[in-house]
Amino acid sequence: MSEFADLHDDLRGVARELLGKDADAGTRWRQAADAGWLGLEVPELLDGSGVTFAETAVVLEELGRATAAVPFLGSAVLGVAAAQAVEPGAGRDGLLRALATGEARVAVALAPHADAASPVAPFRLDAGGRLSGRADLVVDADTADHLLVLAEASEGLVLVHLPSLPADRPDPVDPGVPNEVRVVVEPVLDASRGFASVAADDLAVPGDDVWRFTGDPLATAGAVLDRAAVAVAVDAYGIAAAMLDATVAYVGVRRQFDRAIGSFQAVKHQCADGLVHLRLGRELLQEATAAVAAGDADAGKAASRAKSYLGDTAVEVVGTAMQLHGGIGYTWESGIHRFLKRALLDRSLFGSPDAHRRRLADLLWP
Amino acid sequence: MTRDLEALRAEVRSWCEEHVPADWRERQTGVSEDEYVEFQQSWFQELRQVGWAVPHWPAEWGGGMSVPEQAVLYQELARADAPRLVLAFVGIHHAASTLLHAGTEEQRRRHLPAILDGEIWCQGFSEPDAGSDLAALSTSAVRTGDGYLVNGQKVWASGALHADWCLLLARTDPSAPKRKGISYFLMDMRTPGIDIRPVQQATGHSHFCEMFLDDVLVPAENLIGAEGEGWQVAQATLGAERGMTMLELAERLGFAALPWLVDLCRQPDWRGHRPIDDPAVRERLAGLEIEVAGLRSMCRRFVEESERGAEGPADASIVKLHYSELLQRLTGFGAEVAGVAGHQVLDKPISSGWESGAWVLDFISSWEWTIPGGASEIQRTIIGERGLGLPREPLPAKGTA
Repeated sequence: MSEFADLHDDLRGVARELLGKDADAGTRWRQAADAGWLGLEVPELLDGSGVTFAETAVVLEELGRATAAVPFLGSAVLGVAAAQAVEPGAGRDGLLRALATGEARVAVALAPHADAASPVAPFRLDAGGRLSGRADLVVDADTADHLLVLAEASEGLVLVHLPSLPADRPDPVDPGVPNEVRVVVEPVLDASRGFASVAADDLAVPGDDVWRFTGDPLATAGAVLDRAAVAVAVDAYGIAAAMLDATVAYVGVRRQFDRAIGSFQAVKHQCADGLVHLRLGRELLQEATAAVAAGDADAGKAASRAKSYLGDTAVEVVGTAMQLHGGIGYTWESGIHRFLKRALLDRSLFGSPDAHRRRLADLLWP
Repeated sequence: MTRDLEALRAEVRSWCEEHVPADWRERQTGVSEDEYVEFQQSWFQELRQVGWAVPHWPAEWGGGMSVPEQAVLYQELARADAPRLVLAFVGIHHAASTLLHAGTEEQRRRHLPAILDGEIWCQGFSEPDAGSDLAALSTSAVRTGDGYLVNGQKVWASGALHADWCLLLARTDPSAPKRKGISYFLMDMRTPGIDIRPVQQATGHSHFCEMFLDDVLVPAENLIGAEGEGWQVAQATLGAERGMTMLELAERLGFAALPWLVDLCRQPDWRGHRPIDDPAVRERLAGLEIEVAGLRSMCRRFVEESERGAEGPADASIVKLHYSELLQRLTGFGAEVAGVAGHQVLDKPISSGWESGAWVLDFISSWEWTIPGGASEIQRTIIGERGLGLPREPLPAKGTA
């Protein structure tokens, strides 16, 4: 039993209640900041709570359950990790502080198909401090006002901070404006997640915004990608758990042939399979979450196990939910499509199940 | 107190190096029943001497290992390819759990030390017309002056040919509702009137038996629990089969079956190609590794929670269902990779259990896990009803079934 079991229960309870009520995007962001979710992993000295990814995962699961449109992944999962992996400094500390209070919305420019086995820096920083490159489908870059960009410099990988993007910029940003990072919103089917492409062409970056990693940069970038993969796996678990609950409730009351359809084995056994797979997925997630929280050198294996298993399982469980809800399940109004779209997107984000199985095989049997 | 796990691991590992006979597989393949029994008994006593035969029993009866310690023990036994306790299985698991759960102090004192001395047990539950619907059993136990007179037929009693004692379910009240009229007995297999006939299985072995009971006298003191409460006691015993035994079996998958499968994939085929270099094979292997990792962690959690009485109502079924179907997928993949050559392995030692590296036979014998102890279909119904609270299947109206 985790020493933080009570904290987890509190976090879960508050999240379940808040996210159970409708709210617009601005209100949701405020709620996330007020509840302390954004600064969970920010050190206490910088106005955060100084806890670990294990606590962040509790919030992630609830966001998945609610298919909530909160740009949590960019700020509280990736932004915090990237900023904490570089040397302290006024700029970095200020960003972490603003991130914890919700003043800053952060996105980290990593390609969504990047994989922790070979993290690629999509940008280059030349000797004159000019940044060029492009990353597509950057999670939460559509609403971010701070970008953290992984860039190859002459000294190796660095993190470049690009502040003060207009939060209410036109959509898409005029690509013709010189000396400005170009952020172009990239709409996806899942309306609860936002993406944008980020591009820079010979963009001048002040020296203060070039941040150096404290550890091995490649390993750090890999660790951030593992964390991203586990975060999405937790989200997928939340989606699937919500859908299994909804399905069990529905088949318990929906009657055909004079009986609840959940009493038919053909229906009951599909629900049972969903529970078994989620139980197994929960075990894999607990190991992966603990490994990421502890910064284990071996976290990659646990991350790939969890991401591949939950990616497949969530799509299967939500698909079963749609099937067992019958015609109603296929309607827009039922909302099951939202879960299906997010589960499908989660499956692909930060490495497909196939890619993670291949990576796991390479780690285990080189 | 939990011993240092790494010290235990080193201790078990070096013990295994000295004590596991290197050639036991070859020597135990195709042996006579007597040689098999002798080998199992002597291996059991070797483990007993170091205190590792019944690690899951309470300390006062000779066990007392914590769950993490048991996991380490099983991991190292699997890694060393130690023989499994196939013959003692029902005694150390089902009989012990029945006695500890529902037996009297006298019954425990009579049997638990005897099991440690090598007393062999079998299970007399299933009948020709009572398989998945176990509560439909019709073997009768009629009260006489000094006990019960038992008549009927049992099937699938594994190891019955060698058993000293039998866990027996019989109907004591034919007029009561079917689950209410059943009682649970300990039956001495040397009692007159018991006829055992081995049934040859799909693998060619004859480990399972039919048992014909003709006026078998069971003394009243061998009733377990109260008369008519046998069903509840049996539920606890089946729970043990589904749950507690999984800790060892899951570690066997992780530390024996999976590494052997990887080794198999490293063997070059006739063209000199190694399956492990094939991306499709690597992906499927990784998929199995993931499921084994999840199962191992699920089993540890389950056993720990059940020791505290904190397990969920369908958890034993979840573990059993997943273990058995994963065993089937894993051995099935082994049979695929082994190819035609895998079919030339004509026998395997019974002492190896369900994964022996004889992949085709291992795959065939995996149905020994998906059918007995509540078939997968029954487990899914239990998981749906007790785990998720789904409505029960309505019973057909009388006279229509």
